[in-house]
Amino acid sequence: MFFHIEKGSSVPITRQLAGQIRAQCLSGVLTPGTRLPSVRELARELAVNVNTVFRVYEQLAAEQLIELRHGDGTFVCERVAAAEAARQLESQRQQYTLEFESLIRRGLLLGLTAADLRRKLTEALKEAGRSLEDSTAARENKS
Amino acid sequence: MTESVVQVQHLRKAFRSHRVLEDVSFEIRRGQTFALLGRNGAGKTTTLRLLLGLLSADEGVIEVLGRDPSKEPLALRRRIGYLAEDQAMYPSMTPLELCRFLEPFYPTWDRHLADDFLDRFELPRHTRIGRLSKGQSVKLGLVVALAHRPELAILDDPALGLDPIARKEFNRDLIEHLQTAGCTVIYSSHLLEEVESVADVVAILDRGCIIRQDSPDALRDSVKQIVMPAAAAAAAPRPASLLDVRRHGDRLAVVVDGAADFLQRLDVEGVEHEVVSLSLDSIFEAFVIGKPRRWPGTDLSAAITT
Repeated sequence: MFFHIEKGSSVPITRQLAGQIRAQCLSGVLTPGTRLPSVRELARELAVNVNTVFRVYEQLAAEQLIELRHGDGTFVCERVAAAEAARQLESQRQQYTLEFESLIRRGLLLGLTAADLRRKLTEALKEAGRSLEDSTAARENKS
Repeated sequence: MTESVVQVQHLRKAFRSHRVLEDVSFEIRRGQTFALLGRNGAGKTTTLRLLLGLLSADEGVIEVLGRDPSKEPLALRRRIGYLAEDQAMYPSMTPLELCRFLEPFYPTWDRHLADDFLDRFELPRHTRIGRLSKGQSVKLGLVVALAHRPELAILDDPALGLDPIARKEFNRDLIEHLQTAGCTVIYSSHLLEEVESVADVVAILDRGCIIRQDSPDALRDSVKQIVMPAAAAAAAPRPASLLDVRRHGDRLAVVVDGAADFLQRLDVEGVEHEVVSLSLDSIFEAFVIGKPRRWPGTDLSAAITT
């Protein structure tokens, strides 16, 4: 499981963490029935307030993406119906496209050229690929 | 609601003619992690020392764990763990000697816990304290502050002088050993990025007053930067809590607390605008050094010259 908190970002930590877990549940990176780290474990790992992690879990449980089984742990919901997941994934992808387009527009307004933007995209893809590989490798080592 | 562990009302403190605290009020509830933010000289250390009864206030009411620290400082300090800023410990002692030396002062000192902390913080037991690194000294300070299982931990700028990795480790220790143990924590800092991930509540201390107190998320929701055409802003109502105004050509960038209300009024007036979310750093900056007087109409000359 790979979550990453960016400090000093303009996106609040609760939203960063909830967004990452949600995206991974919806895209199937986290399969139904997967056990999530306990609140304490995740708080310690990310060096984030325990209550913050707890609030994120509660929020995702209310969205029926994860399930808090008392005394047993926190799991990715079995009941995330495939259709619902697909619908949410689609709407998230649409939102992402909008954000991406506005990011490109801002870059152009800041005087970056199309070539600059392409180069940044290539770099970002490479970087993202690397951290995804790391987390996949870590997952496979564990299982 | 859970009970309050610290209650401070209208605190005022001056050192001779130098007024450090003008009017400080706040409340901390059991189990909360409370971060006191402020620039150097804002009065953070003075506030914390008042809570411990190391100083006495000129005016105001302080209640810590249900007691008045100026009347019962010793009884209270047994229940509090304190890490002073740049804590000076006997440099010729070893960490183990320091623990044995302090043990008799605290009836609730837990020798096993102290040993356990020394292990977990990977502190050498037999090296002289004077030879420890800055990070190790802070950790030793934390061992000493926590070994008597305090109900309240008061940490004065614990991250001061720590490198980024040591700070993250320190945050982990704070979360693991204090938050999960239900200990109430009040700590001061000027590193907002560090504080945001750890604190339940942040309070901004500036020029002797707490000017804002809230959870980091609530603060971010409430304080926004709004960019709009400068010409249209003259028609818009001045926001109730304006923190900063900057003019960039024909655009006006304002930082507003209570953004939801102001945005609603802009919608009513039909003023075109863009909302920018701010990092906690920028929010702090707006509160402490923002220039709200540049709002057009109130001081036109200032708005034009910038």
